[in-house]
Amino acid sequence: MTLHSLNAMLVSGIVLGSFYAIMASGLSLIWTTLGIFNFAHGVFMALGAYVAWTISDAAGLDLWLGIAIAVAVAAVCAVGILTERLFVRPFYGERNMLLITTMTTLAVMMFLEKGIQLFWGPRLKQLRPVVTGDVTVLGVTISAHEAFVVCLAPVLLFGLWGFLRLTRTGRAIRAVGQDAQAARLIGINVPAMFAITFALSAGAAALTGILLGSIRLVTPGLGSEPLIKAFIIVIFGGLGSLGGTIGAAYVIGLLEAFLIVTVGMYWTPSALFLMLILTLLIRPQGLFGKAVH
Amino acid sequence: MRNSVSLHKLLPVLVLVLALLVPLVVENSYGRHLFIIAFIYAIVASNWDLSLGYAGIFNFGHIAFFGIGVYGTGLAAKFLGVDPWLAMVLGGVAASIAGAVVALPVLRLKGIYVILVTFAFSQLVLQVVLSQSDVTGGTQGLVRIPTISAFGYNFLRDYRLGYYYVALALLVLSTLFLRRLVASDFGMSLRALRDNEDYALARGIPAGLQRLKVLIASAFFTGVAGGFYAVYLRVASPEVFGFSTVSLVLSMVLVGGIATIYGPIVAAVLLTLTTEGLAHFAGMNESRFMLVAALMLAILLFLPKGLASLLTKRAPRKPAAESGGTPAAAGARR
Repeated sequence: MTLHSLNAMLVSGIVLGSFYAIMASGLSLIWTTLGIFNFAHGVFMALGAYVAWTISDAAGLDLWLGIAIAVAVAAVCAVGILTERLFVRPFYGERNMLLITTMTTLAVMMFLEKGIQLFWGPRLKQLRPVVTGDVTVLGVTISAHEAFVVCLAPVLLFGLWGFLRLTRTGRAIRAVGQDAQAARLIGINVPAMFAITFALSAGAAALTGILLGSIRLVTPGLGSEPLIKAFIIVIFGGLGSLGGTIGAAYVIGLLEAFLIVTVGMYWTPSALFLMLILTLLIRPQGLFGKAVH
Repeated sequence: MRNSVSLHKLLPVLVLVLALLVPLVVENSYGRHLFIIAFIYAIVASNWDLSLGYAGIFNFGHIAFFGIGVYGTGLAAKFLGVDPWLAMVLGGVAASIAGAVVALPVLRLKGIYVILVTFAFSQLVLQVVLSQSDVTGGTQGLVRIPTISAFGYNFLRDYRLGYYYVALALLVLSTLFLRRLVASDFGMSLRALRDNEDYALARGIPAGLQRLKVLIASAFFTGVAGGFYAVYLRVASPEVFGFSTVSLVLSMVLVGGIATIYGPIVAAVLLTLTTEGLAHFAGMNESRFMLVAALMLAILLFLPKGLASLLTKRAPRKPAAESGGTPAAAGARR
């Protein structure tokens, strides 16, 4: 293997890992705080991309893409809050909460996916890149948009980490995640923290969708393939910690780039799933994970 | 009390008699086609109810068993020249083997990881089907699968009358199997494990073994149904693995009522007839799935035990007595 192809692999792996990290951090946040897995996360991505497209392209307004992104992220945050309020909160504290919320979020996914198809029609769409041009890193040329994502991901993730560590709200969210009952006793508004968590997570999903929407075609199923990758990531990393999830996102990104070069595009997903099942046989709690209830 | 018990025993027989008479009323081949598809879904949904509802295994890879049945039968009949009847059984066996394979990681995991790994498993199967496109046809699907025949009778004749009765027979067989299974000691031990795992373990119920068995059992008729689907439609398409199919069948289990067996069967027939019926109105192709999703959410919010709970008298909830009684009863028998 030449140095150049090794570099190419490395760069494309980091690009993939950056997308996965932003997306999986949202899933992990909801899991650690509410103890549920949001299957509508993928369709939130698609929704974000469609709303951004409508504002920036279809309306014909020559707005700066940034405004479109801001509005789209805000809209999806609202949908996230609504989803939590209507279809997650009624089941909080029930014995089968995990199973029921899996089903409700799956139903929300199906509803929104078909709704998007109905509303925006079957025509394929593509978003404009946030930054135009190309960048050359390590002798490998990637689009400036991809380079932007690679730089943005650590900033966002570090920001999220700082928010959870340093702010009052962030600490309250972590307290709720550790023990909702005790958090309520010391005066934390638990329902508000759930809403904020869902909003943050949905916002991260929308942002991933928008950023992905100028690389891939925007379809109602834009998020389903990344969601499946996110499954692999959270199983590898263990859902318990944000750090584990983010680490796993980059590992899977690099692994995927490596597999595409070695076993080819077609066999990559199969190889990933097979490795995943083998990993679980040896380490049921994930590679970096601690045993979770 | 005595009266209601005999009614409970009589009702399935009455429904079966009605189902046998349906072709007399529904004479066109499209109407019968809807019923055939509904019966196939009913088998898939009720078998899923066995692992999800009775055994409480968070198995979200059930659709993969169906897909493996579809492709297993299709490939065996088309390329190996196996008789389509036998190929359907092979489809069931293949699905059961898949059930054993998926049980391996499932036995070691808990909660969300079971959901994730079973989902991932069904995606793995899908990816293998897509990547082996020279055999499976990839995204185009597998076409021209040989169909069943018996004593020179062509099943396409008489407006699919033959297919209708084969589908019904499979559904009856599968239902008898499921009813016997859940009423047996084995079925009780499954409920015991679901309701109070620690206590069930303490009474000597082997959790791993029972879960392995139930996954193998619930996969078999699902695979056979997949096989019948393949020889009936004569095509196999990777769409059977999609999120939409998963959600549709899941809604049947939920709408009918979890851990009831009959509930998902009734719901499968009702939902298939209504959603397929709606497909004829212009622009309803997407919105009928939205309706199914909305129905699913409404059931989860307002009728968590499904439509089946409307039939039984609205007795005050007594989950404590139920979950306390079952493991004890199962334990005492062992």
